[in-house]
Amino acid sequence: MSADLIIQQLVNGVTLGGMYALIALGYTLVYGILLMINFAHSEMFMGGAYVGLGMLTWLSSDSFPASSFFKGSTFGLILLFLIVFAVAGITIGVLGVIIERVAYRPLRHAPRLAPLISAIGVSIFLQNAVLLWIDSKAIPYPSLFPVRQVISIGGASLNSLQLLIVVASLVLLLILDTFVSKTRIGKAMRATSQDREAAGLMGIDINYIIALAFFIGPALGAVAGIFHGMYYGTVIFSMGFIPGIKSFTAAVLGGIGNLRGAMLGGFVLGIVESLGAGFLSTGYKDVIAFGILILVLIFRPGGLLGESVVEKV
Amino acid sequence: MKVHNRRLLAVFAALVAVSMIATGCGGGAEPTTPEEPAAQATTIKIGIGAPLTQGAVALGQGMKRGASLAIKQANESAEAKELGITFEGVDGDDQGDPKTGVTVANTFASDPNLIGVMGHLNSGVSIPASKVYNDNKIVMVSPASTNPALTLQGFAAVNRVCTIDSVQGPVGAENAYNKLGFKTAVVIDDSTPYGEGLAAEFAKKFEELGGKVLFTEKTADKDTDFNALVTKIKGQNPDLIYYGGIYNAGALLAKQASDAGIKAPLMGGDGLYDAEYIKLAGAAQAEGDFCTSVGLPVDKLPKGQEFMAAYKAEYPNDDIAAYDAYAYDAANIIIQATLKVAKELGVDKLTSPEGRDAIIAAVRAYNGEGVTGPISFDENGDTTNKAITTYKVVNGAWAPEILPE
Repeated sequence: MSADLIIQQLVNGVTLGGMYALIALGYTLVYGILLMINFAHSEMFMGGAYVGLGMLTWLSSDSFPASSFFKGSTFGLILLFLIVFAVAGITIGVLGVIIERVAYRPLRHAPRLAPLISAIGVSIFLQNAVLLWIDSKAIPYPSLFPVRQVISIGGASLNSLQLLIVVASLVLLLILDTFVSKTRIGKAMRATSQDREAAGLMGIDINYIIALAFFIGPALGAVAGIFHGMYYGTVIFSMGFIPGIKSFTAAVLGGIGNLRGAMLGGFVLGIVESLGAGFLSTGYKDVIAFGILILVLIFRPGGLLGESVVEKV
Repeated sequence: MKVHNRRLLAVFAALVAVSMIATGCGGGAEPTTPEEPAAQATTIKIGIGAPLTQGAVALGQGMKRGASLAIKQANESAEAKELGITFEGVDGDDQGDPKTGVTVANTFASDPNLIGVMGHLNSGVSIPASKVYNDNKIVMVSPASTNPALTLQGFAAVNRVCTIDSVQGPVGAENAYNKLGFKTAVVIDDSTPYGEGLAAEFAKKFEELGGKVLFTEKTADKDTDFNALVTKIKGQNPDLIYYGGIYNAGALLAKQASDAGIKAPLMGGDGLYDAEYIKLAGAAQAEGDFCTSVGLPVDKLPKGQEFMAAYKAEYPNDDIAAYDAYAYDAANIIIQATLKVAKELGVDKLTSPEGRDAIIAAVRAYNGEGVTGPISFDENGDTTNKAITTYKVVNGAWAPEILPE
């Protein structure tokens, strides 16, 4: 395998990793605060892709008054995508908050298995809702984004969409990281994650903090969903499952509960998968990815950036 | 504790009451249906086993439309009316999944009035389901499962009206090498019995003819990311990418390959032969791709025009998919066999073991002209019609490129 191909596989891997990292943040945020794995998170990703699809189709259809403006200029296109991402992010964020309120909050003091089962139920419910109300078939994604080669080294190339995915995910990750580590609300989130009851006694509105985590995580998942739709060209109601499991793996790989860990885990997993598929065989890419996870967990049970296990007393 | 139990009891009692009311209502409604002792319509059920909500849904829904049309026409025929038989199609959604398929098969088997099954689509589903049908004396006619193993199990009840992969794969290879001039290929499959079988048969024949298979690779039928594989293909620069699998994943592979600047077309089997393939890959990306499919194009056959007209009248909003005509023929064969046995043994014997055996024998002995061409079965239950047509995407639609001789 030549250097060109290795570089190309790295480009593929980083793009895939950017999407994994965005989804992984949602798992890790919720886990950090509630110690609960939100299995419905993969459906936030799927839902985001569908809201994005609806918005893109609607805003670019000829019946929409400003469609020619959106499609006519670079500025219009940038505006179009900003609107689509914002609407999808907010819609799915609100959906996340509603799900927390309806399906998880009543179970907050129940044994830890109960919210987990509830999450699986929500996941199945959302998948079937999309299947019944929208379509059981895969739907092509409108290709409005101009895909052009941006950088090309020998046989390897990076196109504009890959660049967008990588840059946008890095920027979003950076913003979230700054938000959590530098702002007052971020401090409240960290406090809640360390000790929920003590944080409550210190005057932090726990319900607000938890709702916030359930807004940010799904909103980022929705962005990843739109990227996924644009990058691969189709959406289907069951599309969330595999990226969901992979991103969960990425979150565990990086150290679940740790934001930077989730980012690192996402990128590592994406790159390992692409190189594995390139060097060995596509059929083995999942074997390699999960094999790495097992190895990391044997030698560093807390994940790459996770703290070594500290007993909570 | 006590309170809890009492509450549970109350809920239980309420449920019982509700269910009693429900059954009461059903009982009350009965006298309103006038009894017609003269007509004494016997309902004979035919299972429609296909992926309806997951998997190759476009093909599965098409199969259902084809079979439903045959059932509807049979019910309108004088023959069925005279005998007092009403046929009823029962949906079984196998989701393209072997486990779900076996569940569907068992549900079908538990229905005493169900005598035959039109299905399934995926070979991976048909093979495990066929055992259930054979054990329960339910005749099975698959319109679309092309893996050779299906009919090599020695099951008397199992038949198919489509040509098998050991015919389709080699014809694809011959056309690719001799007529289309592709000398090198990479061969990819989706790790299902259908895809693996087809890809292996293609690769074998392609190398026999002197072509070079640069590498073979396995993917999964639910994969969406083929970029790593596409990069690998690009490094080898083949003339052709052969894909054994269904359009859902195949279209994504074609799209990603084309977007990465690979000029080689993609070729596959009947699993790609659907308009959805072009829709999902994008018309520009799919342009110039090939697939082989069983039989002749329906519009080139004597009874094809008639079928197309009836289909359009029944389903004005739907296009005919790859297997609709085969499903129509498959259902028709079951219906014809049932009517024949009804005349010989009597309508009341149809669902008895004796009647079921007779239907199984009548299907295997079937010989007639279907909308997909002449149909009869060999000793394994495979169709004797072995025509394969090669199609190409021209101007965003599948068009016949090479017709069988």
